[in-house]
Amino acid sequence: MISELSPALIQSNSPGIRVLKQILRNRSAQMGGILLLILIFFSYAAPLFTGKDPNKTEPSLALKPPSLEFPMGTDGIGRDNFTRFLYGGRLSLRVGLIGITIGALIGITLGLISGYFGGWLDSFVSWFTDVLMAFPDILLALAIIAILGPGITNAMLAIGIAFVPSFMRLTRSSVLSLREMTYIEAARSLGSSDARILIRHILPNSIRTLLVLITLGIGSSILAGAALNFLGLGAQPPTPEWGAMLNAGMKFVRQAWWLTVFPGAGIFLAVLSINLIGDAISDAVAGTSITPDKKQHPFTAQ
Amino acid sequence: MVNYLVRRIFTSILVLFGVSVLVFSVIHLVPGDVTMAILGRQKVSPEKVAELRAQLGLNDPLYVQYGRYLNKALHGDLGVSIRNYLPVSKSIAEQMPSTFALAMSALALALSIGGILGLLAALRHGTWFDTLVMGLSVSGLSIPTFWMGLLLILLFSVKLGLFPSISNGSSPAELFLPALTLGLPEAAVVARMVRASMLDVLSKEYIITARAKGLPERLVILKHALRNALIPVVTFVGLQMAYLLGGATIVETMFARQGIGRLAVQSIFNRDYPMVQGVVLVTATIYVLINTLTDITYVFLNPKIRLK
Repeated sequence: MISELSPALIQSNSPGIRVLKQILRNRSAQMGGILLLILIFFSYAAPLFTGKDPNKTEPSLALKPPSLEFPMGTDGIGRDNFTRFLYGGRLSLRVGLIGITIGALIGITLGLISGYFGGWLDSFVSWFTDVLMAFPDILLALAIIAILGPGITNAMLAIGIAFVPSFMRLTRSSVLSLREMTYIEAARSLGSSDARILIRHILPNSIRTLLVLITLGIGSSILAGAALNFLGLGAQPPTPEWGAMLNAGMKFVRQAWWLTVFPGAGIFLAVLSINLIGDAISDAVAGTSITPDKKQHPFTAQ
Repeated sequence: MVNYLVRRIFTSILVLFGVSVLVFSVIHLVPGDVTMAILGRQKVSPEKVAELRAQLGLNDPLYVQYGRYLNKALHGDLGVSIRNYLPVSKSIAEQMPSTFALAMSALALALSIGGILGLLAALRHGTWFDTLVMGLSVSGLSIPTFWMGLLLILLFSVKLGLFPSISNGSSPAELFLPALTLGLPEAAVVARMVRASMLDVLSKEYIITARAKGLPERLVILKHALRNALIPVVTFVGLQMAYLLGGATIVETMFARQGIGRLAVQSIFNRDYPMVQGVVLVTATIYVLINTLTDITYVFLNPKIRLK
């Protein structure tokens, strides 16, 4: 196409833009992206689709099957399941995003410091992450919630901490290989401070590898959040949230299938959409740098 | 080899030490005073609080407390529940067989379903069957365990009435749904691994040699290809114990089954800290031991590593 030859586009053809273009052309990324946008739109624009209050109870309307008035039926105390589904998505998606942000911030910082400075600091941080990794999957999050007490904020924090080891390890291994590069030596001989080298030179070069872990991690983090909410350790009633809704719906599994099928489908579609995007990113950056091992991060197969 | 063994075991001991420190700290990391967290808003006499502090051993310096905790734990004493006053180790020992039965049946299901599907997909590489297995596998990785469990209950228990939806026992019928719930996402991973590993092995020269010397295809696949393709799967089984032990928490809660996962969740609700500490310590220790054993077995099984 002629438009592709315009100077502006040629100038913008940095490696980052190239990877982005490749991702945007990927069929599964397109599907995942559209699906995710639909989910985000429906949950954040909830008032456009429903005039009801997600927490308004109406015992006389309890356990009504899906109809025109209640597209996803009603729950055990007569709340509209569709309204709760829409509002519930907000929290479920947010838990995933905030959880992974906490994990990435702490883990990347630790990995940068530990990989760059080495020595006893590195040994200590590595040992500490090994210890954190000794707690199987969700158990670490459970232990943290045992300390902080149940609640949605604590659940996000617990998920974040459970992600720290994977981010720390990946960042560290990437720093170890970058540290010896000539351009880092050049920066150092020009008098750049350690902080400047880490932030301006090493971090941008590790970001590609980390990107895959971050994207796939959002999916795992949504799953983990829903799992904690399902166990009743996260969002407390009456807050609408997909995992918590499943927990409440479980009691009525024999009478009201709609209370378990819809919220679960929400979680499944959200995670699927992110995994599709993550796979495309992983394909796009593959070959150019190390791609993280999928088994490295927690909650993979929940 | 001996060098490796010593180093590997030493690392595990260091990690276990860290685990014990972390688990010990649980009770001290609770915001505010832990006795207040346990007693909640109920009005209690200062004597009662003092008694609880003494029971938890909170009056000594931290290092004394930790030393006592470690010494007792090494002798199998994990303290006493502050809710039902039963020894923690006894409760865990009672719940363990149920979790073990669940994890093992889930693993068996995952390996057989995933193994067969992965093997067939590799042998029919590029056909519609291969595509189908891989598609199922991607979905299997995105499905939340608890949702799939509910769908299985809806299908097998509510619609077909074949299996109970609440299952506490260890008979095959009672174990089937919980084990399937825990095992299916695992089967998705196994299928991918076996397929990839099998495709890799099938392209090797010794397979061409085996075929060239006229061995029946069945023998080529079973004796030469499959045996080598299963090596990576062995490591995987060890790693997946983490998932099985963690996933048991959800599956046990869902099917109202006995087990240490459910014990952990209930103890968190009850603020029964000694019980939570005990369950977490035991589970993490089992996991570290399994990982160490897996690493060692892997080195023994794989001559390429052994000879280095």
